Amino acid sequence: MSQEYAVEMHGISKAFGNKIANSQVELTLKRGEILSLLGENGSGKTTLVNMLAGIYAPDAGTILIDGKEVEIRSPEDAKRLGVGMVHQHSKLVEAFDAADNITIGTEKGALFLKKDRYKEIQEIADRFGFRIDLRKKVHNMSVSEKQTLEIMKVLYYGAKIIILDEPTAVLTVQEIAKLFDVLRRMREEGHSIIIITHKLNEVMEISDRVAILRKGEYITTVNTAETNEQELTEWMVGSKIDLNIAHPVSEKTEPLLEIRDLTVLSDEGNAAIDGLNFYIRGGEILGVAGIAGCGQRELCEAIAGLRPVQSGAIVHKGENIVGKTPKQILEKGIAMSFIPEDRLGMGLVPSMSIAENMILKTYKDTPGLFVDMKKGTQEAEEVIEKLGVVTQGTFEPVRRLSGGNVQKVLLGREIKGEPNVIVTAYPVRGLDINSSYQIYDILNQQKMKGVGILFVGEDLDIMLELCDKIMVLCHSKVMGVVNANHTTKEELGLMMTGSLDLTEKDASKPYGIARDTQIDEATLEAVEAAKDVREAEAALAEAEEQVAAAREAAEAAREAAKAAAEAARSAENAKGGE
Amino acid sequence: MPFHVIKRDSCPLSKKILYYVIAIVIALLIGAAILAAIGVNPLSYYFNMATMGMVGNRIAYKAFENYLKVFVPLVLTSVALSFAFKMRFWNIGGEGQFIMGSLAAAFVAFKFGPVLPQPLTLLLMCVGAVVVAGVYGCFVAALKVKFGTNETLLTLMLNYIALYIIIYFANTAGDWNIFLNPNSARTTFGSFAEYASWPGIPIGRFTLNICVIFTIIICIIAHIYLKRTKHGYEIAVVGDSPNSARYAGMNVGKIIVRTVFLSAALIGLAAAFKVGTAGILSTAITGNVGWTGVIVAWLAKLSTGGIFIVSALISILNYGSTVAASTFGAVDANFANMLQGMILFAVLVADFFCRFRLVRTEKAVPAAAAVKADAPEAAEIPAAPAEAEIPADAAEAAAQAGEEVSNEQ
Repeated sequence: MSQEYAVEMHGISKAFGNKIANSQVELTLKRGEILSLLGENGSGKTTLVNMLAGIYAPDAGTILIDGKEVEIRSPEDAKRLGVGMVHQHSKLVEAFDAADNITIGTEKGALFLKKDRYKEIQEIADRFGFRIDLRKKVHNMSVSEKQTLEIMKVLYYGAKIIILDEPTAVLTVQEIAKLFDVLRRMREEGHSIIIITHKLNEVMEISDRVAILRKGEYITTVNTAETNEQELTEWMVGSKIDLNIAHPVSEKTEPLLEIRDLTVLSDEGNAAIDGLNFYIRGGEILGVAGIAGCGQRELCEAIAGLRPVQSGAIVHKGENIVGKTPKQILEKGIAMSFIPEDRLGMGLVPSMSIAENMILKTYKDTPGLFVDMKKGTQEAEEVIEKLGVVTQGTFEPVRRLSGGNVQKVLLGREIKGEPNVIVTAYPVRGLDINSSYQIYDILNQQKMKGVGILFVGEDLDIMLELCDKIMVLCHSKVMGVVNANHTTKEELGLMMTGSLDLTEKDASKPYGIARDTQIDEATLEAVEAAKDVREAEAALAEAEEQVAAAREAAEAAREAAKAAAEAARSAENAKGGE
Repeated sequence: MPFHVIKRDSCPLSKKILYYVIAIVIALLIGAAILAAIGVNPLSYYFNMATMGMVGNRIAYKAFENYLKVFVPLVLTSVALSFAFKMRFWNIGGEGQFIMGSLAAAFVAFKFGPVLPQPLTLLLMCVGAVVVAGVYGCFVAALKVKFGTNETLLTLMLNYIALYIIIYFANTAGDWNIFLNPNSARTTFGSFAEYASWPGIPIGRFTLNICVIFTIIICIIAHIYLKRTKHGYEIAVVGDSPNSARYAGMNVGKIIVRTVFLSAALIGLAAAFKVGTAGILSTAITGNVGWTGVIVAWLAKLSTGGIFIVSALISILNYGSTVAASTFGAVDANFANMLQGMILFAVLVADFFCRFRLVRTEKAVPAAAAVKADAPEAAEIPAAPAEAEIPADAAEAAAQAGEEVSNEQ
């Protein structure tokens, strides 16, 4: 058996129910190489590496590590074999600091933590060029810091084979560059790395070889140097595909939705959206970019009336909708579809049928005690036909549908209500390329009909192509709104991390306020007044803090004086004693 | 690992029924072994239990009347609990709500029975029980909606509060205590059967209590309510995805409070039926329906029709075992509880096999070069049986040895 390979996986199959996740998959990882595992969502990439990491056991097939056949039944086994995995969502203890998260699970038998752990870990960090504060608590860390910590953790365990599951999905351009530097350093140290991604440019940049999966089947493995993006896409999708997203030019109308000085609290009670100003015109797609968790969710929920607004105004066609119920906002023609990470959480009822889900927002409109299922079935049939939903019928529970079809059902229902504003967050989350393009088409059609669309997205490349303008959020504040045709990923990345703030460029001109605003004077005044109150309150709080600090200082000084006097007296006594 | 678990996409009804029957048979066999160990003939015991002693009995109709007295409160309580459970509101306070309903019904009977005509008394008993039990349940819902309290804990604790309230009334003598029997020197509950007792419809010698008819009607209404009405739709949405419910403009808090009120009120009604049939209070008035109802509702997967059937069967088990206990002195009536627990476990296992199946783990031929070309065929060849069937522990030992070697390296 050749010793060239760190990992060999042969004939790996895995099924979940009747769904085949992997079928006869082959994977080889050479020592000291970076291998990209490429495939669309649902092609079985994560399933495959999870079997290497001991999270699932294969139904069939063999795994060889360093040429020896092994059986990996648990993450513990994987750890012993030198396999470490960095998961898509961090699995860290939020209340612990960085170093303790790394030493968890290694202090076998010992009752106390070793004092020298900080030094020991710092050495590893220096070797690979990680910059991280080991005493920082995880809940204070950014996504990128958490990820760095996860990587350090697997290195600390002595992993030689490292799997990274979509590490770049949550990072900015600059952070990705930093991550890739670390990965290259690890490769030099002789580590073997599998990186899962579906971004082709990253594949081309970082990897030595690419393995491609499609619908659970192994397609091929190629040397990165001998291929190109077009070829990879064709392998991945199975057919030729046009990689350009249509960007039709539409006629922009007056501002449909204007947000003024909006402040919204997060679940924890701090400001998730802080003094936000922006507007959407009819016939445009406004993208919202930002690192995960910088207020996108709270913004969407505030617009839909699902989250109380702390201060500010959300004005729809000249009417302030703050304080209206979700139902009333819906009736004004503002549709919201938020696709959360589990993809079913909001807007759909998973165990109900498509037909039942269709009438979720309108079931009350029919007279009488009973739910009108005929209408639901009829609407479901229309959406299934119009958007090409693949399903066994209108009676099928939504949770049984595949991701793309779930999202089509959701969007289909929202569009049926003929909204004039669509708020959509992550509508292509987890979709394959074909389904994603269908969703983009739907959004573009709506845009051409004069609907204003707020598009919260993850993938900057997509947003640059699809959106007309892009608003960047960072730490609950807006960093600027840029024209999608005149900006670059690098600029967006800088804004996402807060290094670049376009709102400060011209302080004399207020940012994010439409010239032809539809907001009436009274509302404006109210917003201004509320803003003044808020600022005054902030100033007051600050002043109070200063007073408290001064008082504390005075107290400390008094204590010091007393101590000094005491010391002087005892010195005197001592002298007298002599 | 020679076997692994795979999820089924669907399980045909016939197979499901087969699994459930096998499960119940296994539970009964275990019970039979225990009976045999005590020296009781299991067959005759089970026969006596399943027929509730009606075979060869001159007054078999009496046994059936008594059986219905067990069945009515159980089925009503189970249906009531399914309302809350559908909404993922874990109402395990059926016992407490039942007791409060009983107290209210008895209070009405003692207070107004002597002065009002009987039908009106019975009606007022129902109203009183429904309101008191409903409020006793739905204030927990209100707390949950308002402050996010845990309904499981609160309903559970309220069971004990209700229980001690009824025990207090049972043990405390005093002129104010209208629940007691004034003619008895000891503190015992008094009877109100002469003022308030549910009438029956005579069918031959058998008397069909009117509560049975009401119960059947209520079950049908409950089924329609949950399946067809807007309220039922709301309950299902709130239970499955509260976020979606809010998003669709539903007033989730209101729906929770309303549904829990209905759930608890229906349990109160069951209590009014029970009290009006017994004609006397008791600290054991619930007959444990608040607990058994939870099991029934889950065994029936919260379907109203299923609850009807499961309640009927569990009632046979419960009542049958009391009857059998009088014939077989060695076997306590509590044997039914043990059997019930065993059946529950067995059915849960059957449930597991309805949703999953065990599959043998295949092994592909490990020759790396061969695999790529012949992979599909390789998997189909049942890899050298001798190697494949190495006992699990041997494989484990080998794996461990392998690990040690690699660790040393």
